[in-house]
Amino acid sequence: MFKKIIEKSFEKSPWLFHINAGSCNACDIEFVATLTPRYDAERFGFKLTGTPRHADIIVVSGPVTEQSKDRVIRTIAQVPNPKVIVALGSCPASGNIFAGSYSVLHTLDYYVPVDVYVPGCSPKPEAIIDGLYKAVEILKNKRRDNK
Amino acid sequence: MLILKYLFYIFVFPGFLFCFFAGLILAGIDRKIVARMQKRIGPPILQPFYDFFKLMGKETIIPNSAAKRTFIAAPVAGLISLVTISLFIPIFKFSAFNAVADVIVIIYLLTIPAVSLIIGGSSSGSPYAGVGISREMVSIVSYELPLIIALLAVGKKAGMAVNDGMVTFSLSKIVEYQSLKGPMLFHWSMIPAFLAMLFVIPCEVGSLPFDIAEAEVEICEGPLVEYSGFPLGIYKLNYALKIFIFSSLFVTLFLSGNGTGIILFDAAIQYVLCIIVVILSVSLIRAVTARLRVEQMLKFYWTYPTALSILSLILVWLGL
Amino acid sequence: MNFPFVKEAVNSLFKKPSTERYPFVKKEAPLGYRGRILFKSDKCIGCGMCIRVCAPGAITKSTKKTDDGEEITMNFFMGRCTFCQMCADFCPRGAIELTNEFSMITEDKSNLNVSGTFIKKLPPKQQAGSQTISKQV
Repeated sequence: MFKKIIEKSFEKSPWLFHINAGSCNACDIEFVATLTPRYDAERFGFKLTGTPRHADIIVVSGPVTEQSKDRVIRTIAQVPNPKVIVALGSCPASGNIFAGSYSVLHTLDYYVPVDVYVPGCSPKPEAIIDGLYKAVEILKNKRRDNK
Repeated sequence: MLILKYLFYIFVFPGFLFCFFAGLILAGIDRKIVARMQKRIGPPILQPFYDFFKLMGKETIIPNSAAKRTFIAAPVAGLISLVTISLFIPIFKFSAFNAVADVIVIIYLLTIPAVSLIIGGSSSGSPYAGVGISREMVSIVSYELPLIIALLAVGKKAGMAVNDGMVTFSLSKIVEYQSLKGPMLFHWSMIPAFLAMLFVIPCEVGSLPFDIAEAEVEICEGPLVEYSGFPLGIYKLNYALKIFIFSSLFVTLFLSGNGTGIILFDAAIQYVLCIIVVILSVSLIRAVTARLRVEQMLKFYWTYPTALSILSLILVWLGL
Repeated sequence: MNFPFVKEAVNSLFKKPSTERYPFVKKEAPLGYRGRILFKSDKCIGCGMCIRVCAPGAITKSTKKTDDGEEITMNFFMGRCTFCQMCADFCPRGAIELTNEFSMITEDKSNLNVSGTFIKKLPPKQQAGSQTISKQV
């Protein structure tokens, strides 16, 4: 019975952690907009945490630069399992207009496995909510597969 | 038989299980009300349960630099002390362990959850936790002064009638006084102390304008920075229990009285009063304020609430 | 110490929340929204203007020789697109259109490719008559 309750709780209470890996701040603003009264992601239990140790879903925005590469990898390594990584915007998926810059060598999925892509430059808050919804499903499946 | 009765007290009714459900639902109501005040839909009322059970299912990471046993034991110590307080707080005329504890013991026990946060944070070995610990200490120092003066006023008021003019710290005497002469709130000399206590609740439970110790955006949740999984779940439970127990203590001190005589109804009335107190003192303030700085908090608590409670104490001493 | 917005908070406690129930109530993107690219391969002539104006370089063109002529594949990678609409503005045939589909959630990056293939016929064998016409022009 406890197993069932815990599985349901995973669906209902995903906590977010946001990493800015060199983003231009547009995706960050749209991401915070999903927590505002108009879109209110808290009604699904989403909560923005301050530390990676509490998080279930890691949202990465921006191209992974040479400076932020180590920090991104280390921060994601600190998140307890099961975890889901969401690439927010076009930048982590490909580098977008920063691709080919001297400081952007690889995309995010070169360093860590990415579960959900939310393309857009920047994506609408509705699209971000869709992406987080998808991330929750993956989180639930990961929990079920592990146990 | 007696042992069974005490075990029932400890684990079921005023003890663990009752506190678990009452506290988490109270925290859920608080979150919902805050959301509605900010024109949001807000999480479901059962959200704290989901959070708690999810954290039970997560991996627990213990950092290399942490003191392992203290790291795990600190939140549990806080939880045990909170459950212990719940046994001592009378629900109208009913109380599980009546004669053994008075207000002073409860004050000490109420500090233990905060101290457990400090111990847990310091054992995790993170610099963010260090900053959080120092802030938590300041917050303990700041709310303790008005709290104790307000309790002195309550004790004196009750003692004037029941205890031959001496200050009483016995909770059962305070309840007895209120059943004789009506709730403390209806004596006008107690209203400043009532207001002071209302201001103490948000700091005691660590909710928004006074949650400087667990500021999630500045210092990564302070002492909780390295916690994950099971111990973090216990800390979240502690937070919910703290809201319930402190509001329950508040109701016992100021809004208690004769009751109906049936424990079930009494508990229900107590709980409804708790919800009203939490909405007034925690939710409303949390919805409209932003986080204060450390020195602002200390300054605030050592001026307005302290002045109010001293005023109340003086009025009571003069026999008004 | 004063607490502003207390009245506002108490008032909105009894009002309807201003939240949009998004995933349950579907929402249309506003007029002129630049979302997923729709490529009409039958209109494209393979001039490569879109590739020139694309700032992030999200458009690739690959050609293959076949019997009928050149088989040209235009590929638009949405994971790299800035949705600036420059390609659609510069397209001489109007073969590119930015739809209002905003939600492009995927687990696999390859789902983000929008591509279209068409066959560009080789110019017909030149004849004597046509050469004179071209000279006149």
